[in-house]
This record gives sequence, structure tokens and C-alpha cells, in this order.
Amino acid sequence: MNISPTEAEESLAAIQSVTQKTRRSIANSGAYIFLIITGSVWLVGFLATQFLSGPIVAYLWIGASVLGSALSIPLGTRQARRVRSPSLSPTAQRAITFWLLLILYGIAAIAVAKPDDGKQVTMFIVLFLMLGQLSMGMLLSFSATWWALPITVLALVGYFLLPGIFYLWMGILVGGGMIILGMYIHFRW
Amino acid sequence: MAELNETIHQPVRLRIMAALITLDTGDEVDFKYLRHLLGVTDGNLGAHLRKLEEAGYIIVNKVFVERKPHTYISATAAGRTAFQEHITALESIFKNKVG
Repeated sequence: MNISPTEAEESLAAIQSVTQKTRRSIANSGAYIFLIITGSVWLVGFLATQFLSGPIVAYLWIGASVLGSALSIPLGTRQARRVRSPSLSPTAQRAITFWLLLILYGIAAIAVAKPDDGKQVTMFIVLFLMLGQLSMGMLLSFSATWWALPITVLALVGYFLLPGIFYLWMGILVGGGMIILGMYIHFRW
Repeated sequence: MAELNETIHQPVRLRIMAALITLDTGDEVDFKYLRHLLGVTDGNLGAHLRKLEEAGYIIVNKVFVERKPHTYISATAAGRTAFQEHITALESIFKNKVG
């Protein structure tokens, strides 16, 4: 079988294109679920924090978080059916260990810093969560986690420049932004 | 010197193998997801998968998940080796042009 160098070049380009698309698609398959569910929880929780007071705020946060967790299980399972692995890969094991350690470090940082108010606690959680996403991107696929950078910037802008409407900002712009971004990745990417 | 593989070189089969090789060894991809990734029809994908299966380059695994039939595809060790040799041959031809 003989082909020209141009045909060889085209075949190599086709292989590279499919390889990149497959890697990106698999990496993003979980990202959109995380974005939509987390965005929805933040939208409900932060709007409640901005406009309501008393125990109802805590109940709404807990309710939205429980509902989000309950939804993420069947949706995550459905995504997992796209690619089946005979066992948990070493990369997945390292990622799980990393997240567990990051959560412990986050709790330790909050305990040491003793934040003055809910805004500071919120920023600690957002910064650790987005740092985790970006770290995963550095290890696995940056194209799947780049969105953590603009979300971090938006959260910092709200915290430093708009303290009066910080929770409204976090709910609508950051929470809503995550929902829209998740839908964009799912339907258009 | 590695030689071109006629079975793999067909454009759709080349893209199928490229997608499967991207997965970790032993991982299986769902038929519908593979069809979505490659943008081909059911019939077209099925026909090319049969060719690759006959050559021993892939394994087609039909299972029931929650009482629904699912077809999973994975690359065999022979398929991975053949695909790697095909890439080496392509690179060799391309380098001749550049060199």
C-alpha cells in the first residue's frame, strides 16, 4: 500500500484531531454536570443569604445542597456509562486523594484564620474549590477547567469592590454564570 | 520498517482507532457515545466496527445495564500495536516529504 506524503500528513492530522476531541469530551463530560448543579445551589443559597435572614437561610442552603448531591449521583452515573473502566485508574485514585486532602487543608485554613463573617468563609471555600479545579486542569486537561479562573476573578471582584451586594453578585453572576457555562459546554462544545 | 495497515487506513476506521487508543488500556466506550464523537451514522459505524473486530483490533461487548442493551467497544492489544505501527509508517512517509 502506497500513499503520498500529503495523504500521510492528512491522516496524522485526522488522528490528532480525534485524539484531542476524545480527551476533551471525556474530561468535559463531568464538568458540565458539576457546573450546572453547583451553579444552581449557589444561585438559590446566595440569593437567600442576600435577601432573607434567620434560620430559613440555613435550611435553604442545606435543602439546595442535598438536592444537588442527590441529582449529581444519577447524572454522574449516566455519564460514567459512556466510558467503562475495569478498575479505578491510578489517575482517578490520585484525584480522589487530592480532593480529600484539599478539603482537609481548606477546613484547617478556615479554622486557623477564623474568618470574621460569612463573606470571608464564602471566599475561602470558593478559592479552595477553584484552586482544586485548576490543579486538576494542570494534571489532566486544562481545557476542561479553564472556567475556574474567570469564576475566581468574578468572586474576588464581588468581595473587594461590591461588598454590599456580594451575595447577590455570587448568586446571579457566579451561580448563574456557572449554569449558563455548563449548558454551553453540554450543548455547544 | 513499519508498514501501512490497509484495514486501519480507511478514514472512518482510522478515526475509530484514534478514539479508542486515547482511552486507557481496558477501558470501553459506549457505541452511542462513539457515534456522537465521530459524527457518523449507526450503520456506517457498525459496518466499520465489524471490519476492525474481524481483524482482531477491537472487542465489541454487548451487555445489559439496568435491563437496557448497551454496546461497548475497546481496542485489543493487537489493535493498539497495529495502530502504533500505522502511525510510525505515516510519520515515516511524512518525514520523507519534510526531509
